[in-house]
Amino acid sequence: MSPKIDEAGLIRAVQRGDQDAFEQLVRAYDQSVLRLAVNLLRSQEDARDVFQEAFLRVFRSIDSFRFDCSFHTWLYRIVTNICLDYLRKRKVRKEDPAVVDTPEGPLDRMNDFEEEAAHADPERSLWNRQLGRRIEGALDGLTPRERMVFELRHYQGLRLRNIGEILGTSEEAAKNCLFRATQKMRAELGDFQ
Amino acid sequence: MNCESVSKLIPLYFYGELPPEEEDRLEQHLHSCAACARQGESQRALHVALDRRTMEPSAALLAESRHDLMRSIYRDGAPVMRRTELAERGGLSGGWAAWLPSLGAWRMPLGASALLALGFVTARLTAPGAIPSFNGASLTPEVISSVRSVQPAADSARSGEVQIVLDETRRRVVSGQMNDSNIQRLMLAAAHDENNPGVRWESVDLLKSHSDSSPVRELLLNRVMEDPNAGVRLKALEGLKAYAADPEVRKALAQVLLRDDNAGVRIGAVDALTAHADENMVSVLQSVVQKEDNGYVRRRCAKALKDMNASVGTF
Repeated sequence: MSPKIDEAGLIRAVQRGDQDAFEQLVRAYDQSVLRLAVNLLRSQEDARDVFQEAFLRVFRSIDSFRFDCSFHTWLYRIVTNICLDYLRKRKVRKEDPAVVDTPEGPLDRMNDFEEEAAHADPERSLWNRQLGRRIEGALDGLTPRERMVFELRHYQGLRLRNIGEILGTSEEAAKNCLFRATQKMRAELGDFQ
Repeated sequence: MNCESVSKLIPLYFYGELPPEEEDRLEQHLHSCAACARQGESQRALHVALDRRTMEPSAALLAESRHDLMRSIYRDGAPVMRRTELAERGGLSGGWAAWLPSLGAWRMPLGASALLALGFVTARLTAPGAIPSFNGASLTPEVISSVRSVQPAADSARSGEVQIVLDETRRRVVSGQMNDSNIQRLMLAAAHDENNPGVRWESVDLLKSHSDSSPVRELLLNRVMEDPNAGVRLKALEGLKAYAADPEVRKALAQVLLRDDNAGVRIGAVDALTAHADENMVSVLQSVVQKEDNGYVRRRCAKALKDMNASVGTF
């Protein structure tokens, strides 16, 4: 969030029922929330649902926000809980969505690994594609919690202490989770490195 | 620092999560231990590979998600006014009351809401009794009590009695078909009840499906432009959608789009207006594109202008 925006003031305004303030608050965080959901769930539809559910929960329960942690932490607690539910349900269903849905139709998510320079080199392109698949496979092999810690640290750039706070656990537990996640991925991707 | 502990620290080292002194010790170990250095390289390669993976949500997905959210909040019945606020105000108890819109436009006087709360509490004291129907609508009277004052009786020291003063008003329950003229007249009146946005909201919500009747359509046009409560304006807007091609309705929607201070209402207006290509609206849409804060509304106007081959800007 831009330091120019008085976040506490905005939150208090939302608590008083100011809808414009709520819209501003959403704008400050919605891109990172959507990125987290898309990266974790690899489904635009699911990400959209998470976005909606998370901000509606914020809207409905902002009265209970008492400034005893940062708003970012509070919001991410809500978002990560919803995402973890989705990941757990997906584990139960043993889904492995190799193809993600997009408004333009199904899209092989592995295509994201195509590097521009690789187009001139079919062998390199194939290697990238295979690596992409292996990475997705490795990520799918993580438990929902390992997946979440890894996503928050690697792609969202959050500190482990903050991740522990968001997930309601200690920094040490988050460290262990990250360690397990990277070990599993290194084991899975060993021959590609 | 031995190889086993280094193995656990390597991921943290690459994520910059080690304290400086531990980082120094780990680097020294990596310089002197080929096996651990290979592990370090493996971790580095993993980072490089993973960095290629991010999926950035498209601008369209973000815009759609924002739109869905605001639509839920402003239009599709999400509780814009929260239950706790209602409870704190001593007002309505649950049901539709929790879904009432806009705190800012909540104009029921405190006294009135307190009376209403007591009305609910003391409803059990009431004695309903049916009276004959008129014009197909049946009426049921009820006595609603509210406590005016509570005090010890004059000889309370001896008798232990208290004196409670009740204000009683008579409530009549009227029921009948929506197409009954008496019922419709009552509902049209209720939709103007300036002290009670909840009653206005419910009345407009029920009346909106009868917008083929001209008194109802007139009411909806009036409410969409004049009602101080955004939720009521949104309900009126829903009722007018079926008539979005009607010139009078379009004129009202254009005014709403230009003047309404609620983004959800403007979203509703722009959706209805741009569903029909209309060159008479070009200047309105151009003006909105210039002034509008809400990205969705701006984009809808710009797209409608583009579809009509009109310029987005004014020259």
